[in-house]
Amino acid sequence: MTEKQKDNLMIQITGLTKTYSSGNKMVNALNGVDLHINSGMFGLLGPNGAGKTTFMRILAGIVNPSGGSIRVDGHDLTTEAGKHTVKSMLGYLPQELGMYTELTAEQFVDYMAILKGLDDTRKRNKRVTEVLEMVGLRDVAKRKIKGFSGGMKRRVGIAQALVNDPKMLIVDEPTAGLDPEERIRFRNLLVNLAADRVVLLSTHIVEDIGQTCRDLAVLAKGRILFRGSPAEMLKATEGHVWTLTMSGLDKPNHDLTVVSMLHLAEGTQYRLVGSDAREYPNAQPAQPGLEDSYVWLMKQAHQEVEAA
Amino acid sequence: MKRFSLKYALLTYRLDQLWFPLAFWAFFVILTLLLNDQEINFDIARGYIGVATPLIGGVMAAYAILDDPAIELRFATPIRAAQILFERISLIFFIQAVNALAFIVFALFIGVDFAPLGNILNLHLSWIVPTIAMIALGTFGAILGAQTMIGSFLVGLVWIIQIIIRDAMTFNNWKYAYVFMGILNPRHPDLVSNQIALFAASAAFLFLTWLLLHRQERYI
Repeated sequence: MTEKQKDNLMIQITGLTKTYSSGNKMVNALNGVDLHINSGMFGLLGPNGAGKTTFMRILAGIVNPSGGSIRVDGHDLTTEAGKHTVKSMLGYLPQELGMYTELTAEQFVDYMAILKGLDDTRKRNKRVTEVLEMVGLRDVAKRKIKGFSGGMKRRVGIAQALVNDPKMLIVDEPTAGLDPEERIRFRNLLVNLAADRVVLLSTHIVEDIGQTCRDLAVLAKGRILFRGSPAEMLKATEGHVWTLTMSGLDKPNHDLTVVSMLHLAEGTQYRLVGSDAREYPNAQPAQPGLEDSYVWLMKQAHQEVEAA
Repeated sequence: MKRFSLKYALLTYRLDQLWFPLAFWAFFVILTLLLNDQEINFDIARGYIGVATPLIGGVMAAYAILDDPAIELRFATPIRAAQILFERISLIFFIQAVNALAFIVFALFIGVDFAPLGNILNLHLSWIVPTIAMIALGTFGAILGAQTMIGSFLVGLVWIIQIIIRDAMTFNNWKYAYVFMGILNPRHPDLVSNQIALFAASAAFLFLTWLLLHRQERYI
């Protein structure tokens, strides 16, 4: 690690574990996660149940880790004092966003600003107006949240997360349920915000990460499977993606995963991911996309589990 | 930093938690007016302020913290567990206090004599002590079980058992845990000890609730 990276270092996670009891058995939600996250946009990708939300909640100081250390800007998140300090510089948008729907957007953001410690009424009002403008809700600021669409509610959620100008912004599955236009708008907003803070984006939508993050981690079964840039993830998948056109009803097998299918005049074109395709001499090597890389990582992880 | 707003505490308060105690209040007022008998009026009045009010307070308190749609967002802010606890249950107590005092004023207006309950301090302690005790129990039960229903069930259970075995509760060591002593047995020789014990138990329940509230992950 260079001196410059050290200065910039914002979040340090070492050997992070989280164990839940579910009925009479223990569930390991996180198994020894090690990560160093710097300013900018960081993507956390993984399937449902991978441990992403648990990870995000630990970073937000809501869930206590079972083991390991986690420091945000030097503050220890395993202590009450550390959590209090980190929450003072946090913006958080949870996956399941509960709100006081009888309040107007302006009132809700104002209330969250008060809870975050913005006591000066004049400065707070100015900031509330700013963040509502930022998320494009200025015109409907006086309307009750209960009349808002899913996308508008998400935007209120991001406005409340930003109202204290946080150094660390955590957004958990922010684009779930949004239409394509809203998703693009949301992604662009997050990228803009990442210019001067840490933005942690957790999602299972590969496209969201590919479009926004220069740094990402893939989490599955509580373990980090990959850490690096999207380009590095693509590079690691080279030689493991093919296209194959087959006629008839047979589907490719031999431990190859079909990522997509396209019906053509000459047959069905399959996009395949796997360790090798020698059983199919007609298979053409293809340039991997981020989704192929994700499938390849998951496939490897699954094999590891089976081998174990 | 105060991190508190009375305006929003009231605006985010669920309206059914206002209608519920108000409905009880109206029911007891109507009952009093219909029966209109001085002796029965006293029993109705003490039944409302010292028996019904603690039950309503306890049940409402069970919902006070966990029945919050934005609980995860609230937990992600730097507000302390003590503030969450105080902010939520003080509002519940305030509503019970307003209702109880309004009923006392109404009862006095129609000529109810509260002298059998003792002096003015004893009169007010007879509803304040059990109401605080039930609020503390309801909050603790809900937070311990991480479910609002557990708190309200616990309150209902203690309330009904103590009503049924109220005579037995005045003997042996159970007398210190007898919630209705101030209102149903105001001349009991151990009334002061009973009220001190109930205050101490309430403080202990609230302290334990405060400790449990630090484990926020249990409630989201």
